[in-house]
Amino acid sequence: MATALNYDPSSSTSFLEEVMSRSGQPLTACYQCRRCAAGCAVGDETSPVTPDRLIRLLMLGEKEAALSNDLVWKCVSCYTCGTRCPNNIQTGRITETLKKISKETKKAPHLPKVGYFHDSFVKAGLRWGRVNEMEFMGMYELKHLRDKFMEKDFDGIKQEIMDQTKFAHSMLKRKRMHFDFLIAGGRNEIKRLYKKFKKDQS
Amino acid sequence: MEIAYYPGCSLKQSSNLYDIQTRDVFNRLGIIIKEIDDWSCCGATSAGKIDDFLAIAMPARNIGIAERQGFTEMVIPCSACYSRTLVAQTKLAGDPDLKKRINDGLFRKVKGDLKVSSILEVLARIPKQTFKQKMTKKFKQMNAVCYYGCMLTRFPVDVDIPDDVENPQTMEQILKLIGVHALDWNYKTACCGASAAMNDPDTALMLMHKIIDDALERGAECFVVTCPMCQMNLDVHQDKVCEKYGIKKRLPVYFLTELIGLALGMDIQDLQIDRHFIQMADA
Repeated sequence: MATALNYDPSSSTSFLEEVMSRSGQPLTACYQCRRCAAGCAVGDETSPVTPDRLIRLLMLGEKEAALSNDLVWKCVSCYTCGTRCPNNIQTGRITETLKKISKETKKAPHLPKVGYFHDSFVKAGLRWGRVNEMEFMGMYELKHLRDKFMEKDFDGIKQEIMDQTKFAHSMLKRKRMHFDFLIAGGRNEIKRLYKKFKKDQS
Repeated sequence: MEIAYYPGCSLKQSSNLYDIQTRDVFNRLGIIIKEIDDWSCCGATSAGKIDDFLAIAMPARNIGIAERQGFTEMVIPCSACYSRTLVAQTKLAGDPDLKKRINDGLFRKVKGDLKVSSILEVLARIPKQTFKQKMTKKFKQMNAVCYYGCMLTRFPVDVDIPDDVENPQTMEQILKLIGVHALDWNYKTACCGASAAMNDPDTALMLMHKIIDDALERGAECFVVTCPMCQMNLDVHQDKVCEKYGIKKRLPVYFLTELIGLALGMDIQDLQIDRHFIQMADA
């Protein structure tokens, strides 16, 4: 991170406002008490960026740093920060919003696996109306193995396939894998609703 | 009075044992539940990271179904499904435009008067007498720790829940009724990492390690949970966690319904406790 900030009021305010309105959180109420940082499940791992510092980055309009830090991607939405914040700022919702904004910038996300996981899950839920675990895991694995393939990380691919096969085998052995195909007739209601919503937005 | 039942995707697949246990145990305790018609995925914690509208529309559909089928209450055993459905209901109540927009696309429209309950709320209403009458077995000393996880007590919007957010007590109270002593401990509502177990394993293993560590320090002999994701993480991945952090002891991870089922005289195979990764013998 640069030691001197290039602060441009107009562009920083517009980014801050975008995040505030999309996340629905009153970031400007933050007085840096750090109760959020103290309770953050992943705070130790994502240091120096903890929820309080993420809010500070947003207030200063540091879009790059705000989108590509470990916290935004490692945040598990445990909502401990928002539950304890004296000003009711739900930073878990802010990291969710930043994940979405990052996807819209079309640049590679900071931790791609996380993005692929949630994307595959929701697509699987929409496609058949209920999530079929093997289908969704399959989609997720293909996406992230494709990344490894592009990086020519063949050892990594081999390791991942071995790990997942071992995992699948252990689930099968314990009879925790089920092969029924889950489907909901009403999936089209949700698909149509979503399509109409996106059309209205554009 | 029949209560609507929403199992969710997880209870029909990797956590199918929880679905079977819930139905059986509720039946024996005299609670009549009926799976709602053509339910669809609630979006879990992933939908909120993809699209906010979808994150409300997906669970809202199930509220509409339950209401139109004539139910006044819906019980949702999975903590994530419960959380998302409660949040959707709250959001719709506070935003009439959003409610209309979503209802316009739903065949069975949401009114908003359904009571969305966690499995703990429903079990907590059962009188002590009922347990006393139906119990055929007593537990020996089994120091349990109750693990609630994130989604039963913390929400991204203000909702009213019938338990303390930082130090919930409902699971301990129910366990007391079946003669299981629950220890006090520090990580009741700590995060297990949930989906990070798949997409960010180092973080998830670290989080699970903290939970297991505290439980062991307190002298716990097992975990009791109600969330299928937490059960899966602490059970399926416990060997990985313990190998990485050099922990020798293993703690079985029981669903609350399993302990109640055992107390009611059901056997291990029927409850599918033999499908856990960590068995009592390994502990």
